[in-house]
Amino acid sequence: MIKIENVSMKFNLGVETDNSLKMIFIRLFNPKKRNKKQYFWALKDIDFNIQKGEVVGIVGANGAGKSTILKVVSGVMKPTKGIVEANGKISPMIELGAGFDGELTARENIYLNGAILGYSKEMLDEKFEEIVEFSELRDFLDVPVKNFSSGMTAKLAFSISTIVDPEILIVDEILSVGDIKFQEKSKNKMMSLIKGGTTVIYVSHSLQSIKDLCTKAIWLDKGELVMMGNVNEVCDAYYDKQMEKQ
Amino acid sequence: MLIKNIYHNLVKYKFLLTELVKRDFKIKYKRSVLGVLWSILYPLLMMSVMALIFSHMFKFNMEGVNFLVYLMTGLVIFNYFSEATNNCLTAITGNFSLINKVYIPKYIFPLAKCLFAGINFLFTLIPLFLIVFVTGNEIEGTKCYLNIYYLIIPFIFLCTLMFTLGVGYFLSTLTVFVRDVIYIWGILLTILNYFTPIFYPIVILPSWLQAIIKFNPLYLYINSMREIILFSQMPTIKTMIAVFLSGFITMIIGMFIFKKKQDKFIYYA
Repeated sequence: MIKIENVSMKFNLGVETDNSLKMIFIRLFNPKKRNKKQYFWALKDIDFNIQKGEVVGIVGANGAGKSTILKVVSGVMKPTKGIVEANGKISPMIELGAGFDGELTARENIYLNGAILGYSKEMLDEKFEEIVEFSELRDFLDVPVKNFSSGMTAKLAFSISTIVDPEILIVDEILSVGDIKFQEKSKNKMMSLIKGGTTVIYVSHSLQSIKDLCTKAIWLDKGELVMMGNVNEVCDAYYDKQMEKQ
Repeated sequence: MLIKNIYHNLVKYKFLLTELVKRDFKIKYKRSVLGVLWSILYPLLMMSVMALIFSHMFKFNMEGVNFLVYLMTGLVIFNYFSEATNNCLTAITGNFSLINKVYIPKYIFPLAKCLFAGINFLFTLIPLFLIVFVTGNEIEGTKCYLNIYYLIIPFIFLCTLMFTLGVGYFLSTLTVFVRDVIYIWGILLTILNYFTPIFYPIVILPSWLQAIIKFNPLYLYINSMREIILFSQMPTIKTMIAVFLSGFITMIIGMFIFKKKQDKFIYYA
């Protein structure tokens, strides 16, 4: 289903500094000011497969490359080296509400965000009620999203992303959104998706929620794959290692 | 193969494209009282101001020509180009938050901007044809008439769109790497505005400058429109080929550059 083969991802730290015409000229005439090419390998030779229906958690410290791997799988980034294959309709929940336009109302954003996720108009017309119902935001349908609280935005985004049963669901630390009631609801929704055979890649710092949801886990450290296997073994090993450091 | 691919993608992302255009439209006229009426009023006001200033200046060279129509044809085409390319500048950089999180074919953003400006352009045709059919004097020979060659006008629009799209793709790519382009393009547009015979007849320029300006595709499009609307004449076949090629080639080059660089965009967010 998802095949990651010798994937490496290189970031050029230098490009982030100053990109104005002024600096380009200065660099042209003054070699000393030229950016030293500073590379940073966010992923180093990562290699794994995920079968259909598997629920895989990814653990690792900040900067381990968790989010990068999600972006590579969802096609947002092309890897510097290696091959990524993902067969199936992907629903990325890397950041909830990324496709929202604050100026537009919730109603308009459902259509815009749906279109961004690749839904058709007919399908959105049909599922509109269901989305509104799930998001619990019926009273705020005609309010611009910029006036929403972060919890409300996340609820709306979650409802749109999960309205179809995606074949691959990519989730980055989002189940802690909304109030307790919604958290419970979204967790149940995830569970029902998983039972329906959706392949899930789930990134979280909460080892408990990973153990609850996932069957397998991957431990990343500084861009390298440390361990992959049974969720409990990986999580425990990761936890021990982290505690040991302190 | 390539054509089939493009067609396939256009069908697949048609809904997204319309939603993006709708979004731009809603945001542009948000909290404005007159809303879309501005698309009609703006060219009319521009024309009035320019006519007030320039109509006497160029009187001698414009014998028997409806100056208002002359102005309007130039204005609507140039305004389309200027609005569309200005929007394209930030087509990619303005959508980075999205490009960073969800996979969407990036070429859709400049396309949406050009189509959005295109809708605006269609509204500006209302005042254009209003001026064409209302003004003019039969005795002085400045009256314009509907004629069979109007059928060519959509073709000229299409070529203008292709040309604008090509420039738009190029600009949106460039802005990702060097943000200064936004300011530079503003200056270039002003220069281009004066080097396109919008409010003056080309014959007042020295002949060497005329020769250069004839390479300006915008002049080609505007001039072909004027041939049809002002003089009820069919533009020459040679002109029509030039109109098509200038648009088509620019589009291909722009798309090629965009395609070549698009995987690097994300590092410059």
